Amino acid sequence: MPWLKDEAMPAFLAALQSQGRLWVPVEEEWGSCLAVWEEKSLRLTPGPTLLAAKGLFLPQTEKLFHYRVEAEGAVISESEPPAAAARQIVFGLRPCDVAAVAVMDKVFLDGGYVDCAYRARREASALVALACREAAPTCFCRAFGLDPLAAPGADVLLLPLEGGYLVRAQTAKGEELLAQAQGVLAQEPALDWPAPPAFLLEVTAAGVPAKLAAMFDHPLWDNLYQKCLGCGICTYLCPTCYCFDVQSADRGTEGYRYRCWDSCMFPEYTLMAGGHNPRPTKKERVRNRFLHKLCYLPERFGVFGCVGCGRCLLKCPVNLDIAAVLKKVQEVGTHV
Amino acid sequence: MSNPYVPVIARIERIIEETPDVKTFHLVTAAGKPFAPRPGQLAMLSLLPVGEGMFSVSGQGEAHLEFAIKKVGQLTTALHEAEVGQAVGIRGPYGNGFPVEELQGKDLVFIGGGIGLAPLRSLINYCLAHRPDYGELLIIYGARTPADLVFKEELFRHWPQAPGTAVHVTVDAGDAGWQGPVGLVPALLEQLNPRPQGKVAITCGPPVMIKFVLQALERMGYRDDQVITTLERRMKCGLGKCGRCNLGSKYVCLDGPVFTLGQLKALPAEY
Ligand code: SF4
Ligand code: FES
Repeated sequence: MPWLKDEAMPAFLAALQSQGRLWVPVEEEWGSCLAVWEEKSLRLTPGPTLLAAKGLFLPQTEKLFHYRVEAEGAVISESEPPAAAARQIVFGLRPCDVAAVAVMDKVFLDGGYVDCAYRARREASALVALACREAAPTCFCRAFGLDPLAAPGADVLLLPLEGGYLVRAQTAKGEELLAQAQGVLAQEPALDWPAPPAFLLEVTAAGVPAKLAAMFDHPLWDNLYQKCLGCGICTYLCPTCYCFDVQSADRGTEGYRYRCWDSCMFPEYTLMAGGHNPRPTKKERVRNRFLHKLCYLPERFGVFGCVGCGRCLLKCPVNLDIAAVLKKVQEVGTHV
Repeated sequence: MSNPYVPVIARIERIIEETPDVKTFHLVTAAGKPFAPRPGQLAMLSLLPVGEGMFSVSGQGEAHLEFAIKKVGQLTTALHEAEVGQAVGIRGPYGNGFPVEELQGKDLVFIGGGIGLAPLRSLINYCLAHRPDYGELLIIYGARTPADLVFKEELFRHWPQAPGTAVHVTVDAGDAGWQGPVGLVPALLEQLNPRPQGKVAITCGPPVMIKFVLQALERMGYRDDQVITTLERRMKCGLGKCGRCNLGSKYVCLDGPVFTLGQLKALPAEY
C-alpha cells in the first residue's frame, strides 16, 4: 500500500492542490477550521476542527435565484447555483466528520427530492480522511459504532503511523487523486496495524433510538431544557445540523432569494404566520433537537444524527451537550 | 438538473372576496395550469420580494389553480393587496394529498371550520366530479359569523343541489339575516350523529375545533383509520430539506399534510 513519509506531506498536499481547491485544517486565534491550503498552514491536532466541513457543501448562505421586477411583475432572471461547482478536495476530515457528511448526503440526496446545489458541490468534492491515533478529550464517536481508524465514506484514507501515513484509495475518485500524487508516495514498509485510541468519555447510544421512541412525554424533558440559553451554538457547530431558512434580499427593482443556516433552537423556526407555534418553549425545542438526532433520523434514514465529534461538549455554554443527554437517557427508567 | 427552489411565474387571473379576511386567487401561467395537484396537496406561493409560503390548493379548473387565503401575516397581507394581473411565483405540488383511491366507495363526512374548508373543498369537488366512485357526502361547516363563511356559492347553491350531498352550516354567532343553526361545529356533528358504518370523516379547521371533533367522532364509534385530518406547519422548502416541518420522523411537507388519526396517534403530539 502507498506510504507517505512525514517529510513528503507538503509535496503530497501540493499534488492534491493541483487537482482542485484544497481545504486543510488550520488553527485560527478563535479555534480551528478548514481553510484553503497555503505553505505551512496545515495544523493537525487530535479531534476534529472546531468548525465542521458542512459549509463546503451547504454554504452558510447560498443564493437560490435572482429576480427582476418589471412593469409586468417579477421575472426570474437567473437560477443559482450554477449546475457544476468548482472542484474541491477536503483534506484531514476525521472519521466522525466523514460520517457526518454521509448524514447530510442522506438528507439532501435521498428522501424524495434531490437538492441540486448540494449535489453539485458534493460531486465536485473529494474527501481525504485522516484516521485518529489519538482522541480528543471530548471525542465519543465509538458511542455510535464508528471506528476511529476507518472512514468508509472517504475517497482516500490516511492512517498515521510511525514516521508517515498509510494511504488508501477507497473510491475511483480517490484513485484518481492518488494517481497524480504517485511521485511523492513510497511503498509501505512492514508495519503493524495500530490499536484504536483510548477514549476519556464512556458513552453508548446502543438501544437509545428504541428507548427514546417511547419517551416523548417523559419527565426528563421537563428539567433538561431549563439551563438552555437558546443560543444555538450547538446547531451552528454540529456537523450534521443542516436546517436552513429561505429569505429574499430585495434591492429595489431586483433581488435574490437565498437560503441560510437556521437553528431549531430558535422560536421563530416553527412560528407560523398567525402566531401559533408547535414548539413554543425551549422544552419542546430541546426535546426535538435530541429526538431528531437520536431517534427521528435513525427511524427515517437508518443513521444517527450525531457522530460523537464532541463540538457541542466543547462549546455549549451550559453543558447541555448530547453526550450528557445520552447518559441521562440511558439512566432514566421509562416507566414513570 | 433543475433547481427545485425556483418558482414558475404565474399571474392572478381572478380574485374572489370570500370574507372580510379571506380571498380566493385564481392563478394561471403562460402555459395554462401550473400543475395538476391531487386534492389536498400544497403549493409554495411567492411574492417577490416579500416572501414565500405554503398553501393548500383549494381547487382547480381546466387552466388554473385556486387558493383561498386568509390574511394572517406579512405575505398573506401582501397577497390581499395584490391585483388581478399581478405576478405570483408558484412551485409544487407538495405533500401526499387525500387518499382518493382508498376513499372510493365510502360515504364521506366533511367537517370543516373557518378557512379549514379550503383543502376539504378540493376533495369535495373532486368527489362530485367523480360522483359514481363515492357514496353519500355529508358536509358540516361552521365559522364565527355568517360573514366569515367561505365558498358561499358552493355551500348554499352548488353542493346542496349535488346528488347524494347534504350540507349543514352553522355559525358561532348569527346576525339579523342568519336563519341557520347557531352553535359550534362539534355540537352540530353530534346532533347529526352520522353512523360510522362505511364512512370516513375528514376534518380540517382551527385546533380547538379539531380537538372536540375528534373526541366526538370517537364517542360516535369512528375508528382511528376512519378519521382523516390535515396539518399545518411553517414550511420553507416543501422538499424535506429545511427541517422545520417535522413531526417526529415525518415531514409534513412530504409525508403529510394529510394523516389518518391512527397515523397521528403514532407520532409525537406536537401540533
Ligand atoms: S443546548 Fe447549549 S449550545 Fe444549544 S442552544 Fe442550548 S445553551 Fe446553546
Ligand atoms: S418544509 Fe422544509 S422540510 Fe418540510
